[in-house]
Amino acid sequence: MKTVEEINQKIKDGDVVVVTAAEMTQIVRESGAEEAAREVDVVTTGTFGAMCSSGAFLNFGHSDPPIKMAKTYLNGVEAYSGLAAVDAYIGAGQPNRNPDIGFNYGGAHVIEDLIRGKNIELSAESYGTDCYPLTEVKTEINIEKLNQAVMINPRNCYQNYAAATNSTKETLYTYMGTLLPNMGNVSYSSAGELSPLLNDPYFETIGLGTRIFLCGSQGYVIGEGTQHDTSVERENGVPVGGAGTLMLKGNMKKMSPDYVRGATMPKYGSTLFVGLGIPIPILNEDMAKRTAISNEKIVCHIVDYGVARRNRPKIMKTNYKELRTGTIEINGVEVPTSPLSSYKKAAEIAGELKNWINKGEFYLTNPVKKLASKGFEVKPLETRKPSVLVKDIKVKPVITVHPTDEINAVAKKLVDNSVNHVPVVNSTGKLQGIVTSWDIANAVAKGKERLGEVMTRKVVVAHEDEPVDVVARRINKYEISGLPIVDNKNNVKGMITAEDISRLIYAKKGKNGGSL
Amino acid sequence: MKAWLNFSPSIVNKRVIADLIKNYNINFNILKANITPKGGKMLIEINGKEAEEGIKFLEEAGIELQPITRVVKKDEDKCIDCGACVSLCPVTAIKIEEDWGVEVDDELCIGCGFCTYSCPMKAIKIIE
Ligand code: SF4
Ligand code: SF4
Repeated sequence: MKTVEEINQKIKDGDVVVVTAAEMTQIVRESGAEEAAREVDVVTTGTFGAMCSSGAFLNFGHSDPPIKMAKTYLNGVEAYSGLAAVDAYIGAGQPNRNPDIGFNYGGAHVIEDLIRGKNIELSAESYGTDCYPLTEVKTEINIEKLNQAVMINPRNCYQNYAAATNSTKETLYTYMGTLLPNMGNVSYSSAGELSPLLNDPYFETIGLGTRIFLCGSQGYVIGEGTQHDTSVERENGVPVGGAGTLMLKGNMKKMSPDYVRGATMPKYGSTLFVGLGIPIPILNEDMAKRTAISNEKIVCHIVDYGVARRNRPKIMKTNYKELRTGTIEINGVEVPTSPLSSYKKAAEIAGELKNWINKGEFYLTNPVKKLASKGFEVKPLETRKPSVLVKDIKVKPVITVHPTDEINAVAKKLVDNSVNHVPVVNSTGKLQGIVTSWDIANAVAKGKERLGEVMTRKVVVAHEDEPVDVVARRINKYEISGLPIVDNKNNVKGMITAEDISRLIYAKKGKNGGSL
Repeated sequence: MKAWLNFSPSIVNKRVIADLIKNYNINFNILKANITPKGGKMLIEINGKEAEEGIKFLEEAGIELQPITRVVKKDEDKCIDCGACVSLCPVTAIKIEEDWGVEVDDELCIGCGFCTYSCPMKAIKIIE
């Protein structure tokens, strides 16, 4: 048994023994937890990953005459200023107000540029009050000029996280990176055995007030992060999914751009790569055992981002040793994997924190209050109305045609039923393709006779049990006017059109008193 | 080797590439092509026993040949070694090294551009 005070005395005396989490795994493997607990005082961890739930409070100081900033922009990115006159919070995921720039320079990039000491254009508007008469200000700031620049990240450092793949036929652009079609790749984000909260999985040493490495400076844990969850299933003592999270605080004036970077996930948004490391005091044999966790023992699921629902289907279980080999076998096929969070940087951070402690520049802390290790569960957002599924909406009875039909007959069908597209099915009703009135006109012009020659075989479909909102997004994405509804056996059940959907949205909004 | 072939408008209609493949003992790959009646460019890879003779033939036919060694360039200051690009490369030209750094192998790269679009740091550029 050791105490944090004893460890700090050793740091002061210069004889503290610090190892990284990766080194600890080796040490315990070779000499056992009991011996390791005696030998080692501190295990350092690290992670460097995209953490969207990050941001910073900035205080600009008062102009003369003063202004109560109501709308505030930094290099064109809005910072929330519904606070006292000259305070604002810039969130990492805020896109640029110029749509041509959008995600390519968002809140995360402003944060990086501030830390780099660059000049930033500040523009603010206000309504003017007796005490704050100015209604507009435009000037240049930099981190030196700010009174405070405090990074406060509501949710960082997920304990573990599911890996992602995509079963659909289209490439998906997600916060888990680019996911290739037909399960063409897998991306995962946890730093595995180096990851802070996997080395203290029951939060025995981490809590409010724990001093940490944050973006190259000394920061603090200020409590559980949002969506902190203690109910996730465990294997080998560590959760197999998201689970614990941290809320963090740090002084941006002391941070280094080596350990914090603004980034853009294509077609998703801007995000901040946050470098953080937590020292784990080895107070007893149990802590030695827990910090010895290896990639092999850390399990996670691979989930299918092809299903845009809250509960995405799980494809299979894996572990970080397997993911780190660079390929993984899914249904007999070798699929390449991508880490998404930098293991190189994570190791660098664990190493740097180790240096700080060895040099006596960093002392450990006893948390004022440990993070909750039970009683936290993440509640879903219940929407006032449950989402409407495709099968719940009334669509016109389905009209279908066959590939062998003559063009003239199909043209007549389109006109008689006043529809613009019909699904093409085989003799058992399974979807083969789709044909639009434009295809027919084209076929007539070119003298084609059979439908099979002109129909589109690659069809975007809607599934019966999908929410209509998911289908609406698909209609927008492919810029199409309608798609066939199929059941899970590819039998055509109907057609859903952009009109059906806008009618539905209109009805929804109308009843709630909203406007379009 | 990899090279850009520059086609002037006058030779766009000639059967140069077909003859090259037919008459020389070479491995030949078209990695990219953008050719219109006004001329254009083609990125090729040419190897094999008679590669040198093949190249001579191309030059005699009036196609200007610009050998290249790099197809993409990774900006090391921008790259954070996250690895997001690794699984996207169709020819496994991007690898995670021993020290967990991410490296692009120019010999293998075919300039498809998949990594350049998806890199969160916009650290990889295709060299034109
Ligand atoms: S995705 Fe970009 S930043 Fe990440 S490793 Fe590849 S080149 Fe580097
Ligand atoms: S451009 Fe294409 S081939 Fe070249 S490294 Fe990137 S993904 Fe691989």
